[in-house]
Order: sequence, then structure tokens, then C-alpha cells
Amino acid sequence: MRFFVLAAALFAAVAVDAQSDGAQQNRIGRSGTFAVTNARIVPVSGPVIENGTIVISAGKITAVGEGISVPSGAERIDGKGLSVYPGMIDAGTALGLAEVTQGANATMDMTETGTMNANAKAITAVNPHTSHVNVTRVNGITTVMSAPRGGLISGQGTVINLNGATQGDMSVVPEFGLVINFPRIATFGGFGGGGFGGGQAIDFNEAIRRRDNQIDELKKIFRDAQNYARAREAYAKDNSLPYTAVDLRMDAMTPYIRGERPVMLTVERERDIRAAVNFVKEMSLKGIIVGGQEAHLVASELKANDVAVIYTNIYSLPVRPDDPYDFLFGAPGELQRAGVRFAISTGDTGAEVRDLPYHAGLAGAYGLSREEALKSVTLYPAQILGVADKMGSLEVGKMANVVVTDGDLLDPRTNIKHMFINGRLIPLTSRHTDLFDSFKDRK
Amino acid sequence: MRRSFVLFVAIAMLATVPLVVPAQSSETLIRNATVLTASRGTLENTDILIRDGKISRIGRNLSAGSGARVIDATGKFVTPGILDAHSHLMLNAINEGSLSVTSMTRIRDVLNPTDIGVYRALAGGVTGALLLHGSANAIGGQSSSVKFKYGKPVEDFVIAGAPEGIKFAMGENPKRSSQTFTGGQTPRYPRTRMGTLEVMRDAFERARDYRQAWADYRSKKTRVPPRRDIELEPVVEILEGRRIVHAHGYRSDEHLNLLHMAEEFGFKIGTLQHGLEAYKFAPEIAKHGAGVSIFVDSWSYKLEAYDSIPYNAYILWKNGVNVSINSDSNERIRRLNLDAAKVMKYGGVPEQDALKMITLNPAIQMGIGNRTGSIDQGKDADIVIWSEHPFSPYAHAEITMIDGEVYFDRAQDRSRQAELRREREELEKLEVNRAPGSGGTPPRIPAERVEDDLGEHHGEIDGGHR
Amino acid sequence: MKLKLFLFAFAATGLFAGGSVHAQSYAITNARIVTVSGPTIERGTVVVRNGLIHAVGANVTAPSDAQVFDGTGLTVYPGFIDSLTAVGIQPPARPAGGPGGGGGGGAAAAAAAATAQAGQSNSNYPVGLRPELAAFEDIRSNEASIEANRNAGITTVLSVGRTGIFNGQSALINLAGDSAGAMVVRNPVALHISFATIPGQYPGSLLGTFSALRQMFLDARRLDEVQKIYAADPRGIRRPDDDPSLQALIPALQRQMPVVFTANRDIEIIRALDLAKEFNLRVMIAGGQEAWKVADRLKSADATVLLSMNHPRRTTAAAPDADPEPLELLRSRAEAPKNAVRLSEAGVKYAFQSGGAPNAADYLTNAGKAVEAGLSRDAAVKAMTLSAAEIFGVDNRMGSVEAGKIANLTVVRGDPFARERVITHVFVDGQVFEPKPPATPASPGGPARPGATPGAAPGIPGATPGTPPALAAVGGNFSITIDIPGQPLTGTFALTQQGASLTGSMQTQLGTAPIRDGRVTAEGFSFTATVEFGGASIDINVRGTVTGNQITGTIDSPQGTVPFTGTRNP
Repeated sequence: MRFFVLAAALFAAVAVDAQSDGAQQNRIGRSGTFAVTNARIVPVSGPVIENGTIVISAGKITAVGEGISVPSGAERIDGKGLSVYPGMIDAGTALGLAEVTQGANATMDMTETGTMNANAKAITAVNPHTSHVNVTRVNGITTVMSAPRGGLISGQGTVINLNGATQGDMSVVPEFGLVINFPRIATFGGFGGGGFGGGQAIDFNEAIRRRDNQIDELKKIFRDAQNYARAREAYAKDNSLPYTAVDLRMDAMTPYIRGERPVMLTVERERDIRAAVNFVKEMSLKGIIVGGQEAHLVASELKANDVAVIYTNIYSLPVRPDDPYDFLFGAPGELQRAGVRFAISTGDTGAEVRDLPYHAGLAGAYGLSREEALKSVTLYPAQILGVADKMGSLEVGKMANVVVTDGDLLDPRTNIKHMFINGRLIPLTSRHTDLFDSFKDRK
Repeated sequence: MRRSFVLFVAIAMLATVPLVVPAQSSETLIRNATVLTASRGTLENTDILIRDGKISRIGRNLSAGSGARVIDATGKFVTPGILDAHSHLMLNAINEGSLSVTSMTRIRDVLNPTDIGVYRALAGGVTGALLLHGSANAIGGQSSSVKFKYGKPVEDFVIAGAPEGIKFAMGENPKRSSQTFTGGQTPRYPRTRMGTLEVMRDAFERARDYRQAWADYRSKKTRVPPRRDIELEPVVEILEGRRIVHAHGYRSDEHLNLLHMAEEFGFKIGTLQHGLEAYKFAPEIAKHGAGVSIFVDSWSYKLEAYDSIPYNAYILWKNGVNVSINSDSNERIRRLNLDAAKVMKYGGVPEQDALKMITLNPAIQMGIGNRTGSIDQGKDADIVIWSEHPFSPYAHAEITMIDGEVYFDRAQDRSRQAELRREREELEKLEVNRAPGSGGTPPRIPAERVEDDLGEHHGEIDGGHR
Repeated sequence: MKLKLFLFAFAATGLFAGGSVHAQSYAITNARIVTVSGPTIERGTVVVRNGLIHAVGANVTAPSDAQVFDGTGLTVYPGFIDSLTAVGIQPPARPAGGPGGGGGGGAAAAAAAATAQAGQSNSNYPVGLRPELAAFEDIRSNEASIEANRNAGITTVLSVGRTGIFNGQSALINLAGDSAGAMVVRNPVALHISFATIPGQYPGSLLGTFSALRQMFLDARRLDEVQKIYAADPRGIRRPDDDPSLQALIPALQRQMPVVFTANRDIEIIRALDLAKEFNLRVMIAGGQEAWKVADRLKSADATVLLSMNHPRRTTAAAPDADPEPLELLRSRAEAPKNAVRLSEAGVKYAFQSGGAPNAADYLTNAGKAVEAGLSRDAAVKAMTLSAAEIFGVDNRMGSVEAGKIANLTVVRGDPFARERVITHVFVDGQVFEPKPPATPASPGGPARPGATPGAAPGIPGATPGTPPALAAVGGNFSITIDIPGQPLTGTFALTQQGASLTGSMQTQLGTAPIRDGRVTAEGFSFTATVEFGGASIDINVRGTVTGNQITGTIDSPQGTVPFTGTRNP
């Protein structure tokens, strides 16, 4: 018991530590008017501008192109030999909800207890000062979708910029989508985390039964939520009707049952993806597949039902020994050729989100064109996350999430030279550069 | 030669997944490549002549005898085969987790040459690895240095004459931090970093006594031969500098204490494995002469890994330490080329030195740097031909060869897929492969996602490997 | 005691002490006689007297004292040998932990049982590393499966338990006799090793298994050496500590006793051969499913294969949601029946074993698959007779139809490898058994109740059906506890009995499996099931009895034999 208290104190100390120097580390940068001149500009949404200028002011891209005149008072950045890209977006993370995933439970806020947590909102738990923020963004990733995991309905993901002293500062879409850890026949869960089976060996037929029962359970939750919303709405219009008390979980479902916001179904294998698509169709939802390991085998259904895929399996091994070695590297290319809307994501809890460009690069090595590979981590995730009007490409009027590099954005050798998030020039420091500075010259 | 060829073809036809039938001649000429030698810079428009499994000549306009396989590598890049100095591929067991000293165990005993992970690693340009025991024990089992001769019998994988090695482990894993105990269970000693060092010290002391007992017997001071103790024999070899210690650890203090203990007992540590905080005491490592084998940038996955930084390689390199970048993963091993590329960014390690970290440096750490790890005349022809610069994210390996024989060929891999589908159709028609008409057992529950496949040994890892 | 057994083990062979031999003489006339050691006699006579083959030949006449069987249309073979099985072994009852152990008591009870067992020995090694264990000690002449095997034409088996790393030492026994001592032909025959582990202690992994074996062989070698030094001049030397486990390894190190490794995959066989080479052991491979892949190694190691005829086949049900089976698995099933002919071509010595097939009758039928795959019929018969006798060093007394040899004979109507064959007579040590054909729907009357029926009408099987015995009543739902040491499993049997057939399912933490080949006899029941364990499908054979509401029995698996107990649910 005493040990437990001591251990808890130790873990708390870690969290506090991360917070205190986090405030210092996650410098929020400075705003102003900036112009990157003479640079190669890759707008993603249009052709490459070999020698152009981009102007950033008051958080927005105010000009981009050749022969742009730099406004007076603007801070000039010489972009000679450099390239300008939109900031990358990882649409499938838990960044900010998990600091140290093993042995430090006090830093873990990914998984609420219970199966149905529609009201759990990631935006209320992402830690603005986690070191994952600064470590990730200095690699050119400016925005992530961060979501809870586990259970059946895990909660609501949020789209955040990787900058800000408060959750509000970071928020792009506070409540973006509802994560459903879609029932599947499997031994353990994917992106959503293992909600059932617990890794224990269970009988196959039993696994099918459990999956089907859970899908029924899920449908019932959605129907209950429809009934709840109907009753609440009716009462609001007519007080003589029976009153239905607020149920936070049900209440949180309303925008999702109406298809106003998307549900994100974490699911990997072909048979389960089919079931997920049917679920979306039957319940008239706006659906997104997260994980999507075998989504390319279900491409026509996905396309027909306009279900997009956030693909998180570049760093996974094929599950069957007989699969071609590049079965998963090649999947995004297959999705693209089949006309399925998709984005590439790390699917990581936070620390390794910075590898996003290399996930896309590997897809580029195995069948996806380089242009598409770049889109798969910029414009495509912006579209799937419903923020393409704000980000994902370099266009006038968009939020200035801009990265200046000395090479191909997806190349591991490339250095990020400057970056802007929401128009603020971000210092390229992180927990890692701080430790580097502390020890690099030790004799 | 003839016999092994017949055997090879027989195995290829009967037993295994994609394989390339070797050339009829023992000569191969790679023409007009951009060669990243890993030792002497980059050579443009260069030919490599391979004869009898060795790199015979490197130069321009080389010619080969008739019957030689000629590969036109115009526009392609050639590197030495990648070596992974920390892998658990092709093992049927990883940890003997019962005791705190398991130096008697040998990875050689549990090699599984048909592990599909080997083929996938070849497809990532990896030609060999240091296969290590897990990290459940202060002193773990004896390692094995292999080349990935997929399709060959197991003994062909083992690199003849490679120095012997052994795993040590410190920190969370050997002290079993995450283990919970139920009633009646007693924790295994050690439970602290203090105890871990004492377990090692005790083994060294016992090994000294053991060596003395044999010396006494040999000098006829005693009449009865001592018991041969296969736990202590490898520890004696460590003390005598005949067995390389590969020491798993994360925190700088514990690794430094191990260096000190080794110095006290008069031997050198071969490599610090993982060494996520090695950058904090790089000068001491350089002085001791140990190598370090690291993850390029993994961090934060457990408390011990919270101070890991991707600049580790750079700081160690700047201090003159031999650094290798390892995978410790059946997944990550497939993309070590991109891991090496990262150190050019994090700190600015020059290209050739970055490449060395996955080729020549691990070879040196494994004690085989004199025969592989670089494209140099006389070395083993362990060679990868890449579609473009191996540090480009868009590169893939096209051909991977070991000792001059092709073990992965992307073009053949493509064409084999249809063949395998046909074979499956035929096999599934056989009575023995048809499902029983009624009844029968339920099929296996399908795997969902495999991020770090260590085969069927997840349970056994208890005590960890990473 | 054990030591004594050791010292006399090899001296004691070669004598047939005919304690329970029937003095009756028999003659099988007009039969086709496959002698195996010589040419087949198309029409001849075999005379059996005093438990031995008295005469055999085309021109031999039945002596006047002999009971004569007309063998017209029948073929006489040497008694078939199953060269590795657990038939005849009745594992000792463990101290009851039982199902009523209460919360958490199961593990404790199992631990107590293990301790109790360990306490019976002065070995310094844990249960599982006890090479001195003799299968002979567990042979019971009334063990339930003996009869079924004999009825299937099997007269002789090499038997050993299957638990632990050292499974112990096997015994070659004839499948009839009043006592184990009367049944035994040779004991001990070989030392048996499985690449198993001892969960929860050293060696707890395959890594440790090899190092533990290696250290024990080294220690045994040293004990032998030090004992000799001490015997020569004990003065000034501390006497060596004795240990029954190490003593048991010395004959193996001296190549007096062969060492049988259970190994099926090619890599397992290679590991066994490598270890055997390290200690210069006389090596045999049991199972050998992929032996053909390493035939050249087996040949150069002079290794013998006790080749399992229980060829793998798919047992998993078709399910559209399941992943397809791996190619490697599909291939291995296709290749297994070709094993024997390939070993023959490579010059590797082998004998057949039943491989734990659930029904004794499957042994011959499965051997027929090797014939279908190209093995000559003569070679197949030899692999179940003379080759096995040679391998076990008893070919001077059995394995062929020759005068002076033990009268073990199997008499068959029809193709012995075809399912339709009829085993008409089985002679074991000169004692004749006449199996009844299995019950058919046309002639209900329960299962065959074979037994010693000297004097029964010759020739036509089933001519004098006995009174059908009352069958056991075993239907119902049972809660059971499977007593796996340290890890008791609980589960249920749902058994539906219809006459002599049994259907239903068994459910444990490993999943639910339908039962196959379920049969009920007067004594009890048996069935087969396939369970998923450790990522592989394994066949288990369940045998048991029901008394009132109590159920007890054993489960045989490739990993070993474990007892179970349980009660009928209301």
C-alpha cells in the first residue's frame, strides 16, 4: 500500500515535470507578417511554383505565387534553395492523450472505462504542454486528429494544431468525430485498442457471435440515441409532452446519428470493413474507416458509399505469411487507383507521429505517385477531417500552417528550416533539441 | 557445389516461398551502378565483379566470363547488405526467463530458417543480423550471427568463424518492473539496479573460481576433473575477451557502471544495446571502446525511454564511438535504410557515416567487419541493388544478394505471386486439405494487426526484449 | 531398484520366459503366408506351439494335437508392431486435487501433486527431467486400449509415456498377457526425449530445454568418469554424489541405449540430430512428419525414424470469415504420405508407428496411404513388422513368420491396408484372439467384444456372436477438471450417447471442439477431438469411465497424457 502511494507520487512527479518544462518548451512562437521569398513552392492543390513568394499575415496565407510583392514591414525569409509546403496532418493519432505508454499510467488519458463513452471529448484531455507536441511539429506536422481509444464507443476525436498554451488555442475542430471501436472477429484490436477478447484465445464461432452481438448493441445505442433526440426535440417544442432528462452519453450522440459529424470506425480486416460499411449505410451515417488494413479489398463498396479511409498500416506486417511482402505498403496506391478517398496516418499514440512523412514516402515507394503520397498527408487528411477550407494546401485565405524545408518533405534527410502554425513562426526547439543542447558538447 | 545446388533447387521446388534460382556460374557482374561503398565514398558508373561469393573487382568497364550473370544497374544504387545488430528474427524462443543468469542457453539451438520475416527483411535490403536472447536476465543467452540465406539449411545461416557473443541486460526488464505477483509467488532476484550488478559480479567471481578449478586439475593439483559448467564457460570466455558482451540497457548510469565493472574484471564491453541515454556519457564510452547499437529515434514508449533523443547517434559519432542502428523488430528491420537516413538530419551525420551505421558498423560490432559491411575488393558479396538512393523514401530494394547469390529479386517476387496462387488452388483441392464435411474444429481467430511480430512468443517474452 | 534394472536391462533380453503362454497348438492351413523375411508362400501352413512358431511352409502339415484353422482366403502376416504409442500405460493416479478444490485451490493442488510425485524420487532433477522413469512400471495388463489395438491386428507395441522433456524409457510389449512381466518383450528399449519445457521454472523455454539437456548429458558423462576414478582408487577423493537421473543417461552415452527424439518438422529433426551428434548418441526420430526433407542428414547420421502414419489432414471447419490456411500447411499435408517412399529411396531406416491415431484400426488404413503414395506393399508390411523388430533389436525373435520365433501373427481377409479388411485372427505369444467385425447397422448388437476364445469355430469371423454386453451409460453434461500440472483447465463435456456411438462437444478455455469417433463400450467411452493450442491444431484422445455421476479418465495429446475428473451436471 505504501509502495503504491509512493509509486503514484513518482508518476505524478513525471507528469508535473512534463507540464512545468512543457510550458517552457512549447513556445508558442510569434505572430506577424512574414514573407518567404525566392522559394520553390509546393501548394499541393496546384502546380509547383519554381520561384515564388508566400506571404503570411494575421494567421492567414495572404499571397502565394510568382512575382508577389512583399508587403512593407513584413519579415523576410530568404527561401533560396528551400521549398515551401503546407504543414502535414496526421488524422489518426492519440497525441496529447498519452505521454509514456508503459509504466506511467498517470500520463495516460486515452481510454475511459466502460464501453459507451460518446461524451468523452479528447479536446478536454489533450495536454497542450506534452513534449510530444514540440517533438512532432518540428518534423513538419502542424495538425493532428487526436482521439480516445478502447471500449465500443471510445469518445470524440478533436482536430488540433500543434501549438497553443491552451486547448482552446490548439483547437481547429473541437469535436470532430465519434470513434467507434468497430466490432470485429479478431484476437485483439487495432487503432481502437483491444476492447474485447483481451488477447485471450477464444473460440472462432464465439468470436463471430460476440462480434454480431456487439454490432447489435451498437445499433441499439444508435436507435436509442435517435429516440432520445426525438423526444428531447419534441419536448422543446411542446412542453406538454413527457420530459426526458438529459443523458450525457445520449446527448453526445445527436450530431452523429444525424450525420452532421462523422463516425470514425476503427476496423482492419476485409470482412469487418464490409460489416462497418453496411452499418454506416443502414444507420445513414457519415462514415470514416480508421486503420483500414484491407480497405483496398473493399474499395468498390467504400467508393460507392463515399466512406473515406484513414490508413494506418504502413508500419504493420502482413497478417498472413503468404501475403506479398509489400501487401500493406502497396495498399494506399490501390485505394487511390480505385478512387477511394484516403489519407495516410501513423495511427500512433503520440511519440512516433513525427514519422508521418516516411509512412507516406514508403507508400510512394510501392505504387503511389509522389504527388499522391504528398497529398495523402496534407490535402487528403484535410478533406477527410472537413478542414480543407482552412488547411492542407497553400492557398490564399487558408490558415497559415506552412513548412519551409531544404528538400522533399517526405524525405528523412530533409531539414525543416522554418515553420508556421496558424501564422505564428514556431521556434524549432523541442524536448529533444533541449537535451541535445545540454549534452552535445560534454567532454 | 553441385550437391548443394541440387538440394537448393529441391527445397525451392518443394518447400518454401519465393526464391531465386542462382546463376549457373559463380560469376556475377553488376554494371554501371552508383556504388555507395560505405568505406571509400560513392563511385559513379561503376561495375562490380563477383566471383565465388566474393567481391572480386570494382571498377569501370569490367568484363566477366561467359555464363556470368550480368545485371544492368544503370540508374540504380548499390550498397553493402544491411546488417541489424539487434534482432530476434527466426527464433523459436527468445527468452529463457526463469533464471537471472542464463548464459548456458544458445540462440543457435532455436533458429528457425523458414521464418517468413527473414524474406521480408531481405526485401528491405537486410542480409544478416546479430540474433540476441531477450532481456529477461542480467546475463542472458549466447547470441548468433547469421546471414539471411533464406531457403538454405539452418547451418548455412550461421556465419562461420564469427566471434561468439552474449546478451546482458540491465534496468526495467531483468529486474522485472512490470511483473505482478499473486499469493505465494516470490519475486526473482534482482528487483533493483543494485541487485542486477551484483548478479553480474557474482557470475564473474564464480567464473574465476571455475577457471581456477580447471587450472588446478590441468596442473595435476587435483585428481578429479571439475564438472563442466555450461553456465560458467561462456562467462570465462567473457573474462578472457573471447566472447563479445552485448548489454541491453537504457539509463546512462547503469551502462556506465557496467563499463566500470568490466574494466575492473579486465575485459571490454562489446556493445551497449539500445543505449537510449548513451549520448549523456559518450566520452566515457569512447574511452572504454564499446560500440553502441541504438534505435534511431524511438522514445517515450516506457519510462526508461523518456530521455531518448534522435541526436544520440550524432553525439556518439562525434565522440568517435562506433554506432549501429538496429531494429529489434520484425517490422522495423524492413526499413533500416530510412532509419539511417534520419541521422543525416538529426545533428548532421555525413551520408557515408550514416550508411555505415547499418552496414560496416554493425559488422564491426559483430566482429565480422573484415569480411562484410562494405563494398571492397575481397569482401563477401553481400550486396543490395536499390531502385534509387537508399535514403530516399521512395527507394525499394530490387535485388539482395548474399555471398554472391541472389536471395531476393523483386521482379521474380512479382512473377511468383500468380504461381503461388495456382499452387494454392491445386493444394486446396486435395482431400487432406478439404474441410471436414461436418463438424470439425473452429478455425483460428484471424490476427487483426501485426506491428512487431515476434512469432508465437509474446507470452514468453515476459521480461521483454525492448 | 532402478539401478538394478539398468544393470540387467541388456543382459535380460533374448529370453522368452513363457509364464502365461498357452500350451495349446494351432495350425493355420491353406493360407497365404507373408513371411517378410523370405518369399511369400502362396498356400501353406503355419504351426504354432508353446507360444512359438513351430513350423511354416507350403508342405507343412498340421500336427495332430493342433487346433486347425482353415486359412483359405486368408493371409498370415507377422504380428503388426506399432513402434511408438502409449498403449498399455496407465498413468499413476495423482493425489486428488479434484474439481472441488475451491477458489484458487486447483493450482495449489496441482503443485502439491507435483511435489508429491517429486518426493517419490531421490533425483536431483525436477519432474520432466527424469530419464530414469521406466514406462514398464506403468504398464498394466488390463489397460483399456490394449484390446482394441490387438483387435486391429497389432500384436506388439513400443510404449512410453509422453510427458516431460525426458519421457522416460520405453518398453516393447506384446498385447496380451496376465501381467506386465508376461507381456514385456524387451525393457528398457530406448530413452525418449521431447523438446518440451517445464513451465514456470528452468527450463521454461526451448532455449533452456537444450541447455538443460546438454548439462545433464555432460554431468552424466562426468559421473561415469568419476565413478571409474573412484572405483580404481577411492583414497583421497570425495566419493561422487549419486543421482538416478544421471545414472540413467550413462547407457545412452555409451550407445547401449538408443535415444528417441520426438520431432516432426525438419528443423526439429535437425536439432535432434545435432544434439545427438554432440554426445555421440544412437539417435532415432519419432514422428518424422518432414523427415523426407532431411533424408540425407538422417542417412549420414545413421538415424532411424519411427514414422508416424497419422498423416495430418485438415480438421478445421470451413468458415468464410476465416483466413485461408498457410501454403506451408497445405503443402505439408500433401507431402506427408510420400514420406516413407522417399525415406526408402534415400536409404533411411524406418518403422511405422500409429502416431496417436484415435482408432487403432486407423494404423493400417493410414499406412495404406503411404502405399497409395508409392511405397511398395512389401515395404509397408516390413515397416510394421521386421523393420521395427530390427530397430528394437528383437528381430531374432519376432518380426517375421519363421520357425522358432514368437508366435505373433495377424491373419487378414482382404487387403490389410483397405478399410474393408477383416482381421480374422490375432496370435499373441501363441494365444489366439478372434476379433469380431465392427457392429453394422444390419446386425446391431453392440461393439465387438473380442477376447480369448480358443475353440471358437474357425475360419468365418463372427460365426458365433457372443452375448452383447451391456454398454456403459455415459451421456450427459459433465463439468470436468483436466489436471495439467500447475495449470488445471476446467471445462465441460456434452455427451450424447446413441447405443455404442457418442457425439457431442468438449469445451475448455482452449475453445469448443466437437468430438469425433466417439464410442461407448461396456467399460467406458472414448473419443477424439482437435483443439487449438499454442497456435497449432492438436489431436487429443479422450478415454474414460462413468460411475454414477462421476467421470474420470485420461486425455492423450502429443504433449503428454493428463488425467481428468468431473461430475455430471444435474
